[in-house]
Amino acid sequence: MREEFDVAIVGAGPAGISAACILADAGVKTIVFERGEYPGAKNMSGGVLYGHDLAQILPDYAERNCPIERNIVESRIWYLSSDAGYSLGYRDGVFAATRKHNAFTILRAKFDRWYAEQARKKGALIVPSTVVLDLLRDAKCQVAGVVTGREQGEVRARVTLLADGINSPLAARTGFRREPKPEQVALAVKEIIDLPSEVIDQRFGVSGTDGVTTEILGAVTGGMDGVAALYTNRSSISLAIGANLADFAAGKLKPYELMESFKQHPMVAPLIAGGKPREYIAHWLPEGGYDAMPALYGDGYLIAGDSAMLFNALHREGNNLAMASGRMAAETIVESLRRGDLSKKSLAGYRERLAASYVLKDMKKYRRFGRFRYQHKELFNELPRVATFAGREMLTVNGVSKKEKQRLIVRTVRKEVPLLKLLRLLWQGWRAVR
Amino acid sequence: MHIVCCIKQVPDTAQVKIDPETNTLIRSGVESISNPYDVVATETGVRLVEKHGGKVTIISMGPPQAESALRQCLSLGAADAILLSDRAFAGADTLATSYTLARAISTIAAADPVDLVICGRQAIDGDTGQTGPGIATRLGYSHLPYVSEIVGVDIEQRTITVKRLVEGGTETVQARLPALLTVELELATTRYASLPEMVRSLRQDMRVLGAAKIGAAVERVGIKGSPTWVRDISAPPAKKGGPVFLVSGGSDSGVEDFLRTIEAKEPELLQELLSKGRA
Amino acid sequence: MPKNSKGRDVAQIIPDKCIGCQLCVGQCPVGAIEMQDGVAKIDPEVCIGCGKCLDVCPVAAVLFEKPAKKRLTGVGQKPRPLDEYRGVAVFIEVRDGKGAEVSWELIGKARELAGKLSTQVQGFLLGSGIGDVAREAVYYGCDTVHAIDSPALQTYLSRTYGKNLVRLCEEVRPEILLLGATPLGRDLASVAATTLETGLTADCTGLDIDREQRLLLMTRPTFGGNIMATIYCRSHRPQMSTVRPGVMKTPKRDPERRGDIRITGFQATEGELPRIIDFVARAAEAEDIARSAVLVVAGKGACDARDLPMLRELAETLGGTIACSRPVVQAGLLPYTRQVGQTGKTVAPRMYIGVGVSGAVQHLVGMQASEKIVAINTDRYAPLVQIADYALIGDYREIVPKLIEGLKARAASSTAR
Repeated sequence: MREEFDVAIVGAGPAGISAACILADAGVKTIVFERGEYPGAKNMSGGVLYGHDLAQILPDYAERNCPIERNIVESRIWYLSSDAGYSLGYRDGVFAATRKHNAFTILRAKFDRWYAEQARKKGALIVPSTVVLDLLRDAKCQVAGVVTGREQGEVRARVTLLADGINSPLAARTGFRREPKPEQVALAVKEIIDLPSEVIDQRFGVSGTDGVTTEILGAVTGGMDGVAALYTNRSSISLAIGANLADFAAGKLKPYELMESFKQHPMVAPLIAGGKPREYIAHWLPEGGYDAMPALYGDGYLIAGDSAMLFNALHREGNNLAMASGRMAAETIVESLRRGDLSKKSLAGYRERLAASYVLKDMKKYRRFGRFRYQHKELFNELPRVATFAGREMLTVNGVSKKEKQRLIVRTVRKEVPLLKLLRLLWQGWRAVR
Repeated sequence: MHIVCCIKQVPDTAQVKIDPETNTLIRSGVESISNPYDVVATETGVRLVEKHGGKVTIISMGPPQAESALRQCLSLGAADAILLSDRAFAGADTLATSYTLARAISTIAAADPVDLVICGRQAIDGDTGQTGPGIATRLGYSHLPYVSEIVGVDIEQRTITVKRLVEGGTETVQARLPALLTVELELATTRYASLPEMVRSLRQDMRVLGAAKIGAAVERVGIKGSPTWVRDISAPPAKKGGPVFLVSGGSDSGVEDFLRTIEAKEPELLQELLSKGRA
Repeated sequence: MPKNSKGRDVAQIIPDKCIGCQLCVGQCPVGAIEMQDGVAKIDPEVCIGCGKCLDVCPVAAVLFEKPAKKRLTGVGQKPRPLDEYRGVAVFIEVRDGKGAEVSWELIGKARELAGKLSTQVQGFLLGSGIGDVAREAVYYGCDTVHAIDSPALQTYLSRTYGKNLVRLCEEVRPEILLLGATPLGRDLASVAATTLETGLTADCTGLDIDREQRLLLMTRPTFGGNIMATIYCRSHRPQMSTVRPGVMKTPKRDPERRGDIRITGFQATEGELPRIIDFVARAAEAEDIARSAVLVVAGKGACDARDLPMLRELAETLGGTIACSRPVVQAGLLPYTRQVGQTGKTVAPRMYIGVGVSGAVQHLVGMQASEKIVAINTDRYAPLVQIADYALIGDYREIVPKLIEGLKARAASSTAR
């Protein structure tokens, strides 16, 4: 194509669009390529977004009618065995008042479309239904734009931002990011279940626009290293469950089977009773952590979002890391364009920004977390079992003395999880998150 | 040649459902697409002007969201896009729709004479196939429905020759321009637009015309101009699935069990079908 | 009761009561309700005062009083005195010199409708040398047949047929006109309805009468069959409807039946007519799958050219034909004319047998109205299997030959009886 651009962005997800907004505001000529029919068509996330990061890019997002599902006022965490579970929740009035939109749920199909529309309004060109097949290189082998799958589809750009997600065929082809190993990726499936909004209000003890999130661990992932989640939307519930891809490959369970048994768990079923499943989608999650990250920039290009493996499983942060990295990439680009230098050296500011912010600081902090979980399958098998045993035994009133019950519990725990193993689990767990 | 193509934005029918309990249309989250027949109509128009020179104008009657359907068809190579949008147009049945589109085409033709109007044979939501013939009747254009192939256009003689699907076969017909064609899906495979065309279509300004601009009488458009009304909507009887017969290597009984079951449950149906069988 | 600028009673939302469940938005037949800031809002200018929103609102947030009787005028042309229209007319389509089967089916239905309206059945017949067809129309149930016989009507052209059918409608003034939803019928119906400025409802699967208001109630599938709509044409005549072949039952043919056959003169059209240059009959390969009573449909799981003869045999044993899903067309095994689905053909055979068809939504939409669905698949959880009336789980290469054998045995034994 004859027309040239300052910046070509691959992917109209949260990372790409955040960059596009910042760039368009700075008057940079930007084009974004999205392989889906519309932004959001190919995207999936559990569904939680953090207002802070969105506000960095669109401070007036609420006035712009951002499609917010529910404002989260309570976060729960459940530890489940196959038929029972523990629950811990934290609800704070502050999240409904002064710290409103600290976290809120979204539906990607709606949100991404709205978000891309904001970038378009600012002047970025968003081209849907177009796949980027390869990168253009100049005589010095520096990245000089992209090659799309349409006729006359080569587009020259001074700098390219790769924000094309975890399944990027482009990354594989260009060698910028190694194909992630199966243990570095989780396969998750999500179902959106329609439920009238008053029913959700009642079941979760909230009113109209407030909501609850629940992160779930334990035996629900069929003994595999994985997590599940249950989030409230305006008039639907998002249910997501996923496990490490390597575990899926080794095991016999299929993702939808996992979802079906998850829906039937006695702590989940009553919350979704009467609901109508509306949508079903599957996706990969980058769980490789800090050590699986590729080089984030080079001569004429930068990488942001899932494509850069920026994902914090423990804190369910993916969207916001994508937005923050997209923004920082854009800020770096604006500076470099002014300097007229888009070499690797000039773009180093990107990594510096990321390192100075919570993005890389958190990634580093939790770099061992993925491996820890993967190597300690007792978290998903023996531990839920003994935890349930303990709870059940202690709460059953059957004439047995509490001391006897205590002895029984300790004996059972020791049998299933030898003391040494338990200590090692706790020690390594601490190291993984500290 | 000046060709006008009529486009309709329709819900992706695969996703539209009705809630059998509350009897309401579940429209939330349903994607809108360009009616596939109309996309073929546009592709046909573009190919004709590529061959004979001229331009394609695409028009669509719909709410502001219909703009994305128009842009998709623009990217195929149409020169101009007009959205007919007006509160008054809402709730139109095919009579009111054909009136509105016919008025729009007359307005366009007054400024730039129209040689050919191409419509898709039917829209996948209404499935009526009535709008195209309705427009032709109102405009008095030669009317060629169910076109499966364009044989040729003779600009000097002002004729168009097409093949169309009729009962039992294919007819070759020649008609004078201006003409209106309704096209079958097999007429053309739509092109994958080039990147410059995509970009052009995304940037193009779209003209939006209301009832007044096209000289449409307010009592003949929209709900006011629609003799037919929807009295009720309901879900079709839900299919719940029936007996399952397992057939595994070697053992005969699965198929026999099935045949015996279906014989017992629908004896007349089986009889009737077998009697029409040709062994 | 609030009224809009046209003086019509309209509904209003009580914002404080509205919980934003959006049930009313979906229910409104004219899209007059929108969500604004989380509550519903009705546009009074679009609202037609049907009261559906009131019916469906779970929290009584709609302010509306349904009037006892609604009278609406000003739709299109001035209202005609409806009493002047009487009779149920059926357009008789002629094919190869004979009446089309669908026309007889419609006459049968027309008799039923006419009975409820205490009126007569009229046949409208256009063609060349159609004396026999007119008589047949009487035998199948027409009280009167109005025929226009002219060489100019030998082959169907929209304008000539349109003009003459409209003339019959204006002279005879039927209150209802039915046509078969064939390519010819659908085109002609639309031309006539547009000229007469009346309402036309296509592809009806059900017809009934509201005796009190003398209205034809027409039921048809929309949105690819996911929704059934009942439609009526209040103030315009004739109330027009097209019905697909095979939907209504063929009535008994009674050669003793007496009826009136009236010949009307042909009216030529002005201006130049399209010229028919050629006609090529369709080869057997391109049979219309939408007209077959039985379809054996090959899916991605049975996409093998070597198995096609076997599938054809199964189809033929039941008097049907083969069809396929999109992947099979894309693989080049069968032509596009055999494709069932959203972008292919919509079919509703008496029996649909899916072989290796998973049942992607785009395919289901094209066949879910089939009377009986049989699924042959290895995957028990395939969507088609979930909705099939009967499912055979296993390898089709084993199942189909056994099916053919079993069916042939039954066919043989029943003819032997």
